[in-house]
Amino acid sequence: MPMIFKKSLRDMMIHNRSTLVAILALTIGLWGVGTLMVSLHIMTNDLDENYSQTSPAHISVRSKDFNRLNIEELRKNPNIMAAEIRDKSILRVEVRPDEWLPLWLYSVDDFERLSLGKFFPQNGSYPPPEGTIVIERNNLLVSEFDIGSNARVQSRGSIVRTEISGVIFDPGQAPSTQDAIIYGYTDQANYSRISRRPAGQRLIIRFADAHSKQDVIVKFDELSKEMARMGIRIDRFKIPKFDEHPHQFQLNTLLYLNGVIGLLAFVMAMALISQLMNSIFARQIRQIGIMKAIGATRWHIFASYTARVLVISFFSISIGLPLAIVTGQAYSAFVASIINFDVLTTQLPPAIYIVITTLGFVLPLLFSLPALLKGTRISVNDALGDYGITVNESAVLNRVTSFTGSKILSLSVKNVGRRKGRMIVTMATMALGVAIFLTGFDVRASLSDFLDNNSRSMKYDIKVVLGEKLPSEIAMSPFTDIEAIKSIEGWIGGIGRVQSGVASTASGIGLVVAPFDTGLKDYDLIQGAWLTGSQELEFVVNQKAAVSFEPLVIGQRYPIAVGNTEVFAKLVGVVREFDVAKIYLDLTRYNELVNPDKKINSLMISLKDRSYENVIKVKKEIERIIVETGTSVLYVESQAERAVIIFEHLNIILMVIVFLSLLVLVVASMGMGSAMGINVMERTREIGVLRAIGATPETIVQLFVVEGFIISVLSVAAGLVLALPMSSLAAQFFGVLILGENTPLDFSFSEIGFFITLIVTLLFGYIASRVPAKKATRVSVREAIAYE
Amino acid sequence: MENIIELEQVTRKFTQGERTFTALKNVGLGVRKGEYVAVVGKSGSGKSTLLNLITGIDHPSSGHVRVNGTDIHDLSESELARWRGRNIGIVFQFFQLIPTLTIIENILLAMEFVNIVPKNERRNHARTLLEMVSIVDHANKFPAALSGGEQQRAAIARALANDPDILVADEPTGNLDSTTAASVRAVFSELVTRGTTVVVVTHEEVDQQKFDQVITLQDGEITHFNFGDPGDERHGKCL
Ligand SMILES: Nc1ncnc2c1ncn2[C@@H]1O[C@H](COP(=O)(O)OP(=O)(O)O)[C@@H](O)[C@H]1O
Ligand SMILES: [Mg+2]
Repeated sequence: MPMIFKKSLRDMMIHNRSTLVAILALTIGLWGVGTLMVSLHIMTNDLDENYSQTSPAHISVRSKDFNRLNIEELRKNPNIMAAEIRDKSILRVEVRPDEWLPLWLYSVDDFERLSLGKFFPQNGSYPPPEGTIVIERNNLLVSEFDIGSNARVQSRGSIVRTEISGVIFDPGQAPSTQDAIIYGYTDQANYSRISRRPAGQRLIIRFADAHSKQDVIVKFDELSKEMARMGIRIDRFKIPKFDEHPHQFQLNTLLYLNGVIGLLAFVMAMALISQLMNSIFARQIRQIGIMKAIGATRWHIFASYTARVLVISFFSISIGLPLAIVTGQAYSAFVASIINFDVLTTQLPPAIYIVITTLGFVLPLLFSLPALLKGTRISVNDALGDYGITVNESAVLNRVTSFTGSKILSLSVKNVGRRKGRMIVTMATMALGVAIFLTGFDVRASLSDFLDNNSRSMKYDIKVVLGEKLPSEIAMSPFTDIEAIKSIEGWIGGIGRVQSGVASTASGIGLVVAPFDTGLKDYDLIQGAWLTGSQELEFVVNQKAAVSFEPLVIGQRYPIAVGNTEVFAKLVGVVREFDVAKIYLDLTRYNELVNPDKKINSLMISLKDRSYENVIKVKKEIERIIVETGTSVLYVESQAERAVIIFEHLNIILMVIVFLSLLVLVVASMGMGSAMGINVMERTREIGVLRAIGATPETIVQLFVVEGFIISVLSVAAGLVLALPMSSLAAQFFGVLILGENTPLDFSFSEIGFFITLIVTLLFGYIASRVPAKKATRVSVREAIAYE
Repeated sequence: MENIIELEQVTRKFTQGERTFTALKNVGLGVRKGEYVAVVGKSGSGKSTLLNLITGIDHPSSGHVRVNGTDIHDLSESELARWRGRNIGIVFQFFQLIPTLTIIENILLAMEFVNIVPKNERRNHARTLLEMVSIVDHANKFPAALSGGEQQRAAIARALANDPDILVADEPTGNLDSTTAASVRAVFSELVTRGTTVVVVTHEEVDQQKFDQVITLQDGEITHFNFGDPGDERHGKCL
């Protein structure tokens, strides 16, 4: 091996610490980017693949007249790719004693030949033998069910039993671990037996050549006319988000986060590499001078230091690439388990390996190029002379004379200012790390504040939604005896429709009818006002519903369809909540218009003791009464549990944010450590002089620690300033992602996050300055003074 | 007789901020092939600056420097590096061996840079040089394992790696005790007898008899030339 490379290798081995730091930094960077690329590939590919292999329905249509429809004929329609009868009833099933969850029960025409809305057998029997159902695999995680379990289903007030004979995988459903829904599939006869409803009344369709929701609407329009000609009256229809998994938003957020933070980690790793290369050159300047004096050309020098970078790259790639693949796959598997899809990718495309390897070789070289060029260009004279490179004697002496007694702080301040460029880079990286770390906490605070507000705004504790509308005294009577209940209000929930300019909320929108002066809900108004109870029919929408108004004008009247009645109502306000699209109406006005019998279908119950345990206890009691009295119920939901469920949705994301931002901070501190290392090294001689005039090693260490402390404090300050716009942007981003368009979260400042950041940064700063300083004081005074 | 080193009207000024400092003023000198030359003067008198101009490490502000038939201002930075490797061996006062290479590897490195000694002869040639400076036993040790005098002799061996015609040394014995210094000086004398031109800078008193020329610098100007041979025809002509 040429001597020049031998030298490079030996140098790296001698300065193994900075070599290791460089390898570590680059490994982390490659790991971050690699994980990002691998998981991005797997998740986008596989979720799509999982979801599209179900061949999701574009629309579901309900009618009692499908007996007039010849499905075979319908399928021949060139506009239709697939169509199937797939009834759906929302019932309830007991998953644990006195614990009931919604059961979405589907009828399946032919289990062996699914043409859309497909699912895949996993365990047990398939198709389910007569009288049994199969459930979704994720359901096992939220219930005590197993194959062979005999489930109690509550259907229109009475209890029906059915055996669970198998488990299927339905990638098209929202994961029940998050949404707490049991999905059951059975034949039409059993469907009718359990749901006590006729089968054959819901049709699902996938159109050919539909590329957007708009296409679906247009094609359905045509189809509905055709059906009308056949005498088929459509009761309801529903268009889900176009070809999008119900939890796509979660995936998007996770990918986005992973992307941003992976890239940042990489950028910081690069900054670190370039700083390390600078430090290497600072240390090697005399050797470069000697080599040039004995005949080395720039090219020799360039090659020898480039070799170092390449060796660092080589090791980092060797570690980082496999690591990235493992964690990318693990991360994907983790996300897959959250969203309930299968990782299908077994082999990554070679492009991923090639890109990561190329990045690993090219970018560090690129980032250390300035240092490389500066180092190779330096003239022999500059390299060997005392001029312009090392600190001149008188400056040292000045500082030494100022070093009397405890002038450590003023000395440290001067030192921080001495190498401006390097300190700026160090502080910028630290500040960025701090800012990201803080942003993570702030977003977390924004989200949890939002959830707190949200659940604080819900002043009821338990909501019972009945299976049918009942006069309110009858509806409330079974529950009035429960001791723990403070009050019960009767509301109406249902499906409405708004015709707003161009778009109509064709698929229906949640309708909530409540007394305008209800004490059970405080609304988070973002525009206009709440219902006033005026004689005129008013309505309020939430932010999700507001999207379908174009333009949205407070005070304008819009046609609203309530059941079969169409009325004009004045839009008075917009509220913000974590929920599906909803419109709110006043109960009195509503009753006057369409509900003369004053029937209600929702019982809003508030409790005397609102603690979580009590709420759960009372909820179980309510469930028992429901079973005993045979009340037909759609679902019973407690605010407390709902908050927990929502938080679960978001917590995964938050965990990832905080963990990844910690990683960024670690990389930033490594940068600071290396900058400190150069500092200490450059001042070896000064340290010697200081010690010669009586400074103890501890004083020297203190000097650098104070310097590190100053840098940390300044970084935290800069990071704090930077975190404000970043946090508010992030709050906006998450608001839009989770709550929908035009719904930024309010920015919250996380005090706890700030203190954690401050402590972590100071701690890292302390370590990053103490370690190199400690090392420097181990050099003897004589050696230090002689140091050139 | 041709001068192997020739300086004409050489001035070197340094600017530091506002101030300009003249380190060498109108210096002229000539060294013949095979001569043993000493440059003496107090610290700060400009000795190192002069030497750096001869080796091409530094360039004059005005005047001409001709070494071994080359006008060194005409060379680019890389040409200069190669030219220096071939023609001049340099020995510094301290810190000059690459600490992470063994003694013999340090010599091989110099050969590698210049690339005129054929690859298969390099090791043998390096050992011969180490024998000449009597440290062949230390060939495979790292510099730190050697004494100061041994390191300095290793540095001389490295300076000779590519058989340069000229060897320059900047205070090569400044750091050594008198016995070791004497052993290093003996190596220089030996080289001179073999025909190498040797220029040594020192701030110590020198034994005028041993040198062909002793050049005395003071505040950047040459004040004396003393020739070992009193009958030298250049006597009194070169100022
Ligand atoms: N690169 C430089 N920049 C500024 N001044 C220099 C530089 N090199 C040398 N000098 C000055 O030139 C003078 C002569 O220096 P030098 O040749 O090193 O002296 P000597 O080797 O005789 O001790 C000194 O006063 C020194 O300060
Ligand atoms: Mg000198």
